Amino acid sequence: MVKLTIDDRVLETREGLTILRAAQESGIDIPHFCYHPAFAPEGSCRMCLVEIEGSPKLELACSTPVREGQKVRTRSPRVIEARKAVLEFFLAEHPLDCPICDKSGECKLQDYYDEHGLFDSRLKDAKEKREKKVAIGDKLILDRERCVLCTRCVRFLQEVTGTGELGVVNRGNHSEISTYESEKVANNYTGNLVDICPVGAITDADFRFKARVWFLAAEESICPLCGRGCNIFIDVHPGFPRVLLPQRAYRIRPRENPDVNGHWICDFGRSSYAYLDRGRLDRPVQNKGSRETVLTREKASQIIAAKIRGLMELNKSSRIAVILNTTLTNEELFLADRVFRKGLGLKNIFVADPPEGTADGFLQTAERTPNKRGAAAIGPFPVVPGPGDLASGVDLLLIFGHFLAAQSPPGELKAAFDRIEAKYLWASHRSPLDELVDIVIPTPVVAEKSGTLTNVDGRVQSLSPALDFCSEGWPEWRALLDLAAALGLDRAYFGLLASPADVLAVMKKETAFFA
Amino acid sequence: MRRPYSETLLRKIDELASRYPKKEAALIPVLRLVQEEAGCLSPDEEEFVAQTLGLKRMRVREVITFYTMLTRRPLGKYHIQVCANLSCSLLGSATLLEYLQKKLGIGVGETSADRKFTLTPVECLGACDQAPCMMVNTEYHGNLDPEEIDRILAGLD
Amino acid sequence: MDDKALTRNFGAADLHDMEVYLSRGGYAAVGKALKMTPPDVLGEVKKANLRGRGGAGFPAGVKWGFVPQNLPGPRYLCVNADEGEPGTFKDRYIMLHNPHLLLEGIVIASYAVGIHTAYIYIRGEYENVARRLEAAIAGALQKNTLGKNILGSGFDLDVFVHRGAGAYICGEETALLESLEGKRGHPRLKPPFPAVVGLFDAPTVINNVETLSNVPAIILNGPDWFVKQGLPKDGGTRLFGVSGKVKKPGIYELPLGTSLRTLIEEHAGGMKDGCALKAVIPGGLSAPILTSEEIDLPMDFDSLAGAGSMLGSGAVIVIDRETPMLDVLRITAKFYAHESCGQCTPCRVGTAWIHKIVTRMSEGRGEHDDIDTILRLASNIKGNTECPLGDAAALPILSICNKFRSELEQNLR
Repeated sequence: MVKLTIDDRVLETREGLTILRAAQESGIDIPHFCYHPAFAPEGSCRMCLVEIEGSPKLELACSTPVREGQKVRTRSPRVIEARKAVLEFFLAEHPLDCPICDKSGECKLQDYYDEHGLFDSRLKDAKEKREKKVAIGDKLILDRERCVLCTRCVRFLQEVTGTGELGVVNRGNHSEISTYESEKVANNYTGNLVDICPVGAITDADFRFKARVWFLAAEESICPLCGRGCNIFIDVHPGFPRVLLPQRAYRIRPRENPDVNGHWICDFGRSSYAYLDRGRLDRPVQNKGSRETVLTREKASQIIAAKIRGLMELNKSSRIAVILNTTLTNEELFLADRVFRKGLGLKNIFVADPPEGTADGFLQTAERTPNKRGAAAIGPFPVVPGPGDLASGVDLLLIFGHFLAAQSPPGELKAAFDRIEAKYLWASHRSPLDELVDIVIPTPVVAEKSGTLTNVDGRVQSLSPALDFCSEGWPEWRALLDLAAALGLDRAYFGLLASPADVLAVMKKETAFFA
Repeated sequence: MRRPYSETLLRKIDELASRYPKKEAALIPVLRLVQEEAGCLSPDEEEFVAQTLGLKRMRVREVITFYTMLTRRPLGKYHIQVCANLSCSLLGSATLLEYLQKKLGIGVGETSADRKFTLTPVECLGACDQAPCMMVNTEYHGNLDPEEIDRILAGLD
Repeated sequence: MDDKALTRNFGAADLHDMEVYLSRGGYAAVGKALKMTPPDVLGEVKKANLRGRGGAGFPAGVKWGFVPQNLPGPRYLCVNADEGEPGTFKDRYIMLHNPHLLLEGIVIASYAVGIHTAYIYIRGEYENVARRLEAAIAGALQKNTLGKNILGSGFDLDVFVHRGAGAYICGEETALLESLEGKRGHPRLKPPFPAVVGLFDAPTVINNVETLSNVPAIILNGPDWFVKQGLPKDGGTRLFGVSGKVKKPGIYELPLGTSLRTLIEEHAGGMKDGCALKAVIPGGLSAPILTSEEIDLPMDFDSLAGAGSMLGSGAVIVIDRETPMLDVLRITAKFYAHESCGQCTPCRVGTAWIHKIVTRMSEGRGEHDDIDTILRLASNIKGNTECPLGDAAALPILSICNKFRSELEQNLR
């Protein structure tokens, strides 16, 4: 450990840290552009200059290691003067684009001008005219007038993806960021360039002009689109009074987690957020039986429990099949196991998931669901057989998730389902299954849930709702507890469980994996 | 335009690359040799050099655009570079530059229609005791005046 | 001045020819050094107080001593033959007229530090000089004063000529390393210093041509002799290069401590007919300017530093009263804006901004606060950049604007 003083505060910090890092960890912000914790120090922006006692020149906080007894000043008159000087140089080559720039509100240059600048322009001469809308990637737009040449983008593509699509061409004040000829930045991590660009030079074509960031609330969640479980922010717009917005979620951004995804997320996870708002089931679908005006939780569980009881009494439990999926939380999979396998002694408990893809060698896994490992720890849950086989052996089908629909052509599904007497579906999104079953109950998506998921490395991560669940439905864990109650299963056990947290507490006691 | 490079060039490139623990260190000397033979460094040359030295083309482009002596556009047969720095200016290089523009019928930075001459300014050539100086391709010429310039130009075929 | 170790024999024809050089006692220094131990050789150079002749003036022996001797792997010597500092042409003369002297210095330096590969980084414009060097290397290889088992000593050394392609910044040692590695000439953060992490991440010594060319005489004549050629803290002679409005521009090998006035008026023949002295730049364009009243100054590192300027590359540019200081300012501003590598913000933007203002002034559209703006911008560049080019731009501009303000203000509205 090393003891040093920053701005008259004595800090104890780990050896090998830079002054900037040590300051950051103690809540002291030293302004910087080119520094990024994922890369080696660059030292070119010159914003992080600080005063160190004994050193005649100002030193860079980003690349000077902490030393025992060091006395650092981050706000001395000399430092403030240097900071303003460097800031003025940045601003002299930067367009007044704030009114039309997407980065406004989360822009380092704005922030630093606000905190450390607030001087008038003394530039009388013209700024360099540069290209303002260069499509450097499918979802990326480069504005060379806004670029501060911090080279974070260049270094990201060299050090993280190893693809090196961007470079710095020309010299001096003619320097600019460029791709090679018409080649595009093309890999599964291009969206991270938008995050790391400290200004609005690289922006997201998808997000362009859609929303001002100060209207967005950054809600924490976990990406459910593969087994990595990248920690994310979902930027949610709460809406305006009397104004209907087309979506709630406007953007997905990475949330730093050194043990899971570092500072990054893949483009697939970043760009696939439309599903949060589009194609959702709003209300229950009732195709058979008495159509209730409002299908309550109680009524639904009564109907389904009756069907289950009917078959159980005829010793026909083998004619009941349950299809789960691995986007369900650990708590939901656990309850499914306790209700169906242990409670009812059912044998036909399967899983139907979205198809696997190819792992990209970095974050994105081949499995495209967030909780395959959780299912493995709780299961086993074998893959669902084909619809034909399913139909011939089953009179009652309980399906959690709509993924089955994509696995067979609609004709085949209908033919199979028509042979099954009773079918009930819990799903978040509309699908061809909606017309094939008796009742559909809308369920929340991962972003709307509380619970835990187990990622590809076996790490259990907590979820809390980033979005409100707005449909007339209820989460799967609720449905499972309702069924347990309606079937009269082990009241002493199930009766005490009222939330995913309660379920997790029980899981920790009963399953070695979750202990 | 893709063209076969001479055996001499290819051998020279191999020899150069062998001088360094990493052959990419030979990039700048190699680019100068390739430029000499090909006239300029077009995308074809970038591709060739990138492949030969195991580099991405972006890295080659980054280097070409940084150094003054590397050009992506073809120059005239004789590249006349007049030193515009202090010692030469003190001894009248500005006048000589004007004289050359009139004599060659081109402006600064331009190439003559017959592709024979390109005229550009250049920073200090390191021959300040012979100011004013100019460089024609790789030949230095100092102690210039209009007559001397006429003499030099006459000697260029 | 009789002992002109560097320029003696400059006029001799074909000194670059190996046979001619050997016949004049060439490579005796190498022979002597190889019979000493490397630490002893290093010790001699340290005692001689040989300061770097490229511009920074760092003691060569001390720099060599920074190279760790206990790390495995190769070490490198890079000879800085980039000579881009405007006004400077001494290294070109050494390499053209006496390349073997440089090669001897290279061999001795490499032997002292335990280096087996040396690269001469020569600016791209010096093509004819590069060819001369390559011929000299071929000649030396032939006579076994380079290559394997030099003169039977068991010491191996390869020397290669590496051509640049036009970038003043590559004279800065870490930018030179970047360029030698096949990249853009962007200076590196220091620490780590090249002596520990240099070329290809290996310990590297970088020395100027003139610096190394002094080493053979130090070995042959001893460090005390060398010190006596100059001053106690600044041993040896310097190759002063005089240019501008003097009668006899050229190279003058003189002891450190020679008066600037003497250099201009006696050696360089004084002002050209009809010209009166207005200003002198004493150490290359990066050196702050001196007025005609300030030339009674010894030409050594400390005296010039004390006068607010620097010895730098020893390039003396003499400016007359007929030359407008605005022209000098414009040329200076344009040079640094053109040569800025662009990596760090104050230099990239600052040099361009100053150039814009000075250009506007040169077009007759200068405004009353322009000088103040230039002074402020230059002060903001000074000390805040990643490499010394920022200061090299700022300091001369500050000195010109401060010392010739009233003349410059005549150009403003």
